[in-house]
Amino acid sequence: MKSLRQYLPWILYFVFFLGVLAVNPGAHYTHLLARVIIFGLYAVAFNLLFGRTGLVSFGHALFYGIGAYITGMLAKASGPDLFLLYILLGGIGAAIVSVFIGLLSLRLTGMFFTMLTLAFAQLAWGITFKLYNFTGGDDGIQAIPKPAYLTGPVWKYYFFSFVVVTICVFVIWRISRSSFGMVLKGIRQNPGRITFMGLNVYKNQLVAYIISAFFTAIAGGLYAGLDGSIHPDMLHWPTSGNAILMCTIGGMNTFFGPVIGAAILTGLEEIVGKYTEYWSFSIGVVVLVVVLLFPRGLLGIKWPWGRKSTTEEKETEVACNTGD
Amino acid sequence: MPAILEIKDLDKHFGGIHVTNHVNITVERGEMSAIIGPNGAGKTTFFNLITGSIPSDNGRVVYENEDITGTRPEKIVKMGMVRAFQVSSLFLEETVYDNVYLAALSNFGKNIGMFADRLSYRDAREHTEMILVRTGMLGCRDLKASELSHGDQKILDIAIALTLNPKILLLDEPTAGMAPDERVKMMALLEDLHQYFQLTTVFIEHDMDMVFGIAQKIRVLVQGELIAEGTPDHIRNHEAVIEAYLGKEVV
Repeated sequence: MKSLRQYLPWILYFVFFLGVLAVNPGAHYTHLLARVIIFGLYAVAFNLLFGRTGLVSFGHALFYGIGAYITGMLAKASGPDLFLLYILLGGIGAAIVSVFIGLLSLRLTGMFFTMLTLAFAQLAWGITFKLYNFTGGDDGIQAIPKPAYLTGPVWKYYFFSFVVVTICVFVIWRISRSSFGMVLKGIRQNPGRITFMGLNVYKNQLVAYIISAFFTAIAGGLYAGLDGSIHPDMLHWPTSGNAILMCTIGGMNTFFGPVIGAAILTGLEEIVGKYTEYWSFSIGVVVLVVVLLFPRGLLGIKWPWGRKSTTEEKETEVACNTGD
Repeated sequence: MPAILEIKDLDKHFGGIHVTNHVNITVERGEMSAIIGPNGAGKTTFFNLITGSIPSDNGRVVYENEDITGTRPEKIVKMGMVRAFQVSSLFLEETVYDNVYLAALSNFGKNIGMFADRLSYRDAREHTEMILVRTGMLGCRDLKASELSHGDQKILDIAIALTLNPKILLLDEPTAGMAPDERVKMMALLEDLHQYFQLTTVFIEHDMDMVFGIAQKIRVLVQGELIAEGTPDHIRNHEAVIEAYLGKEVV
């Protein structure tokens, strides 16, 4: 029973994202789903830091952008044959950058950490924007080639993204359930106590930051291949903000909540965007409703059939007080 | 008995206030001792100084013949000097079991595992269960820390400290805010732990029944200064102590 509940989200995950392939929703919606799953990885990677460790980074666009630009520029410059390797290099590049930013900004806590990560990301955005000869400036880089096995119908790239994302999400899932993941959860709840358990808060936060940056960049690299274009907006602060929105809507204290958040954010843009260019208004409404009514996010809602009943809990408490 | 902890000329100012005034203390291995003193005497600050929470202005802390002045608090914990807190410091969203288990992971150095399931460490699991049995918390292992009574939260806080295999345990007001029956329970627990683990225990306390009931040695801090040190009988009749607590007029 317990193991079923543990794997149920995975079953739903596979049924949904593979099921759509069987249904064959057409190029447009397959492309949309590819975006959902890539943003899903971005949100899950971000949430390792945000929901797990309790660190609000407002600069993850930087890592997303690094992944996209390294992958895109390498594919453009030296051909797409080693596309998967370029995505990996994007992740490694972001991880290296994250070491330096993490070492500096994790010295600060709370809002000051958040602002410093934002500052670094905006700095990188400014450079990308101005460095026309190297990055293509405002125009970005278009017509990024894809390897032969990924060209043609969009479902090929969707399936490729699905495989890469699933491996990454699985690794993050394992990390969340590991003892290291338990330490991160402890840091969010009570960093002072972690110190007096003989553990170094700063080091653990840094490792979480690097892992988060790595997988964020993988998502960025995948996105570069999806549209075959990259642009400085990927490094701009709204990209960082989207990660926070996806996790908040879906449920930052749940593992798969961010994927739901990614689907909702992408879906709103698609559906409402058909009728009005002010589609982001609808995101505001959704965030408002979720924060006011379901502060733990959509997956964080406590369903009546979810946890053990209250009578059961009371019995245990009595047992505790009289048991010794 | 040989000394486990030597504090030499420890000194701390907060602005113009002299919170720790050239304190010299030698804690012997295996002792069960209390630190008492009126509110604001600098008792908690004293703990904060020796555990590395805040830096001292002057003086040395020597633990197991090693100078640990300025050492990071988590390293001091790893060396075996562990503290519990005045306001219990827990992971409120986690179960009693997980609170202790996390400490056990740290104790066995298993906190760095990234891919194995967190519960896959047998030594940590067995250690956790042993601690839960010893502290009488096994019955509520699946309750969240936030669901515990105040007294049980204090016990859990001590259980976490105990899990880290301390050589010396520093307790900051173990019975603070407790009901009388909970105090009795806590007293019995501390005596049991002291005997069972041969644990050097130093506790700050306001409850005189507890202090004179279980401490073999009492130290009195007043305005940052160590004014008396000795057996309960010695302290009970110590003039300066009576003066600090009751005032000169009464005497």
